[in-house]
Amino acid sequence: MAKSHEETADPSIYVPSQDEDMLKKQKKKEWKETLVGYAIISPWLLGFFLLILGPILASLYLSFTDYDLLSTPNWVGFDNYINILTSDPRFVQSLTVTLIFVFISTPLKLIFALGLAMLFNTGRKATGFFTTIYYIPSIIGGSVAIAVVWRQLFGRNGAINDILNSLGLSGLNWIGNPDTALSVLIILIVWQFGSPMIIFLAGLRQIPGELYEAASVDGANKVQTFIKITLPMLTPVIFFNLIMQTIGGFMIFTQAYLITQGGPMDSTLFYALYLYEMAFEYLRMGYASALAWILLVIIALITIIIFKTSSKWVFYESEGGR
Amino acid sequence: MKRYKFKGLFISSSLAVALLAGCGGGDNDDTNANADTGNNADNNAGAENTGNNDAGEENEAEASDSDAETTIRVAWWGGQERHDMTIEAIELFEEEHPDISVEPEYTSWDGYWERLSTQAAGSNLPDVINMDNSRLMEYNSRDLIVDLQPMIDEGLINMDDVEDVYQEINVDEDGKVMAISLGANALGIIENEDLLEEHGIELEPGYTYEEMMDAMHQIQDATDEEFFGFDFANAEFEMFFVYARQHGQSVFNEAGDGLGYEDEVLVDFFDMVQSMVNEDIAASHDIMMDYIDGGDSMLGEGSAALGMAASNQIIGAQQTTDMQLGLNVMPSVDGGQDGNWIRPSMSFSISENSEEQEAAATFIDFFTNNLEANEILQADRGVPVSSTVREHLADQVDGAIAETFEYLELVENYTSPADPLSPPGEAEVRGSFQRVVEALKYDQVTPEEAAEQFRQESESMLQ
Repeated sequence: MAKSHEETADPSIYVPSQDEDMLKKQKKKEWKETLVGYAIISPWLLGFFLLILGPILASLYLSFTDYDLLSTPNWVGFDNYINILTSDPRFVQSLTVTLIFVFISTPLKLIFALGLAMLFNTGRKATGFFTTIYYIPSIIGGSVAIAVVWRQLFGRNGAINDILNSLGLSGLNWIGNPDTALSVLIILIVWQFGSPMIIFLAGLRQIPGELYEAASVDGANKVQTFIKITLPMLTPVIFFNLIMQTIGGFMIFTQAYLITQGGPMDSTLFYALYLYEMAFEYLRMGYASALAWILLVIIALITIIIFKTSSKWVFYESEGGR
Repeated sequence: MKRYKFKGLFISSSLAVALLAGCGGGDNDDTNANADTGNNADNNAGAENTGNNDAGEENEAEASDSDAETTIRVAWWGGQERHDMTIEAIELFEEEHPDISVEPEYTSWDGYWERLSTQAAGSNLPDVINMDNSRLMEYNSRDLIVDLQPMIDEGLINMDDVEDVYQEINVDEDGKVMAISLGANALGIIENEDLLEEHGIELEPGYTYEEMMDAMHQIQDATDEEFFGFDFANAEFEMFFVYARQHGQSVFNEAGDGLGYEDEVLVDFFDMVQSMVNEDIAASHDIMMDYIDGGDSMLGEGSAALGMAASNQIIGAQQTTDMQLGLNVMPSVDGGQDGNWIRPSMSFSISENSEEQEAAATFIDFFTNNLEANEILQADRGVPVSSTVREHLADQVDGAIAETFEYLELVENYTSPADPLSPPGEAEVRGSFQRVVEALKYDQVTPEEAAEQFRQESESMLQ
């Protein structure tokens, strides 16, 4: 197409050879296409540089200062990092709480999601309807209203205790008790298993039916098919969900902020909650920025570990089952 | 095809430009609006008088538009009742000052300071800020609020009827007037009078902590209903403020860079808190928080007989219940000193970045002196500091509001001069205190360990 243009007939003194001419045009065309591409994504690029990259770099800078939101920041070098890592018991507490939370809630959530996805994959009537129903908590789960409902449910005079009382058991203040408060939040998060469930469902539908047929011909029972076919074929999806949910777990904030505010006795002091408290309640923005960067490193490390182990257990059909 | 591409380029780049213009446009509008109104000659004078250069600079740059309406932003915290009353008063203000319009920014206490500090970081503080004593130094030490003395001298804020005692706390060591009090109150005990009467208990002012605990035991032993006893209302820190003063000490030292009490006093106090919870004469921490989070009141419900409060809180508390509530002074220490103080805890400040300082001052004057406005406001932020307003209201109010008026007269006999304002960082120290108290109430630490931990944490915070 480029070759047959009128401009090529332009009578000029220097007539480039056709090859050279074509190459030039090709380059010009490529450059134009690139430009158009950038132009099209420019709103996003602007947003990225102004609203994401800018603040990220700013927070990196602030993490080396004593910024308190109200006055100009002073450079303090690595002080914030040193303080956090050597003499901050609440940092240790918040990290412990967050790790416990992630390591309990993520597997539970994935198990729930997988179980229900398998139930909905049977193709029985109304599974579409129930899939939608079970997805709803994922949409509304992060809302303020649900947090309030949760507080009512698990409060001292809440519905859970009413049920326990009617069964003759004595209830307790689930949210106010340092031993149970974290579990209340874990239940809330596990309850929002909708999006991994949908992804599992899609993954299950990808598994070729003939594998199951072959297995049933060989006389494999349900448990065997699950362990030998479903699980291995699903590992890429499990891998994806695991990564996403682990990262999401580290960032839990809203529910804890609304339901427990980190209490009682810091038993639900999630990392993000501690960071927020430092930044906006105690005006230690520099310190909080350093906390944020440490969290980034921790999440990156854990993600890398999961990635490294993935070659041991994730099964890709396209790689000949490696 | 080619044309097509250019079209694409054109559309997308114009989109990008529009986006940029959108952001920029917003900023422009803002500065214009501010500058326009700042052009008003009167306002200009006010701004310059207070030494705010920003407003002056803006004025040079903008176009003339002298009829523009002045807009001020006013921020406060509170519950729905207070929001309704304040908005009604603002409407009255706008009626009387048609050239000024007020944009209210209100939230509950939770989140109020987070919001303000974010606004401060962006030099975007509201013109008039509802301050709390505990944060005043924080904002003053960073020069975020202006000196109001010039506006008082100029007559913009009329303080003729306000006794010095109400303003003392708002003046810093250099004589800067940081804020104007919104109303006086004092710490106190809210009593459920029905409950006390039922059990024949009378706590005469001057009663001791021991007598208070005995009274709680007496009710606890006699009653079959759910009874928690004393409600700390998450105000153990405030309670210790008074307790330390009753022992002739104070929580913070004079310089504001450390603690000003001997550990013995705090250990005694912690011991009392812990044993009250363990002996079932004070609500445990989880029950207390359950009530606070749910917005319920033990006192109103009759499951607590006494509770910590700031005196103006009885107005809100009485509205939730049919039972008769009353105010009493805090318990005394045998052979101790008077520990309480009358504190105008809430006040209005004007932010340094305000370009409408004169309008803001007019607004504060209105809140301080306007009789009709104070009728609307119902002394909800404390007993009015202007004697004229106070006398005017005294004849009209009844019930809980009258109770606060009477209480302030009563408590005056149990006060000593107020401590200096809490140093910056008070919020963090308070957080540490609350965590320690929590552990104490859950019986995780001994009073000695708790006092030690608090000293360690808070001293490193105050450095």
